[in-house]
Amino acid sequence: MKCDPKLINKVCDYLGGDLNSEPCQIIKEHIEKCHNCDIFIDKIKKTVEIYQKADSCDCAPENVTRNLFLKLDLCEPKKSEHSK
Amino acid sequence: MEIAPEQEAQIVRKAQMGDHAALSQLVSLYTNRIYRLALRLTGSEQDAEDVLQETFLIMIKKIKQFQMKSSFYTWLYRIAVNVGLRHLKTKPFKYQHVSIDDPDIERVSSMEAQEWPAIDYDHISRKKFRKKLDSAIEQLPEMYRTVFILRDLHELSTEDTAKILNITPSNTKIRLMRARNFLKDHLEDLVKAEAII
Repeated sequence: MKCDPKLINKVCDYLGGDLNSEPCQIIKEHIEKCHNCDIFIDKIKKTVEIYQKADSCDCAPENVTRNLFLKLDLCEPKKSEHSK
Repeated sequence: MEIAPEQEAQIVRKAQMGDHAALSQLVSLYTNRIYRLALRLTGSEQDAEDVLQETFLIMIKKIKQFQMKSSFYTWLYRIAVNVGLRHLKTKPFKYQHVSIDDPDIERVSSMEAQEWPAIDYDHISRKKFRKKLDSAIEQLPEMYRTVFILRDLHELSTEDTAKILNITPSNTKIRLMRARNFLKDHLEDLVKAEAII
């Protein structure tokens, strides 16, 4: 199936927005019929999910945090008060 | 640790009055987030540490000027992004300029797109694989990279991202869509090269 260029614009707009939100009715109806657009959107969502997962694996190493507080001349709060 | 906005505002007010414990709390609250932001932006642990330190030095110096008109994190992220981008300007760009286009959905349609299998989260947490993901982010020109980092990795809203980068919300959406599409294409190649998901 060849996508209507107007629909492609709408799909692109959705792809630059909040992917967790429900797509508008026009896109919903389109992806029900258009398998390729459905797959395309799914791949974009998975890409974001994978990058988020990978990013969450990183946090500031202990020595970096220690150096930071030394540089700022501040006392590091106890562990329980640390950021995520 | 996340805290409620009212609680954070209270800590900010104390920090503005020179309370060292409050300043420490703010630094501690945002250390990991700013470090991750700087790491993704610069692609280097050493540069990320430099950006982290400079960001908080500026925060401490200027916190009295923060007028509570926006959220504290928007203000802090703006400092961090500016420091990070300034830092990047002093470094040669590691990659060749890449072309960032809108998704070519018509081409995808004609390619008989195949679904990706379920995600293997264990594979994603492996350092070697994460380095490959990072290299794709580093290939994105700054204007796309910053939007992707703020919107997708730090989950800021389109409006906050636009304010931080001083661009319009619609421009933010266009840049994000192109960045996501570029990273998807890169990931598609990885999917073909190794059974990662």
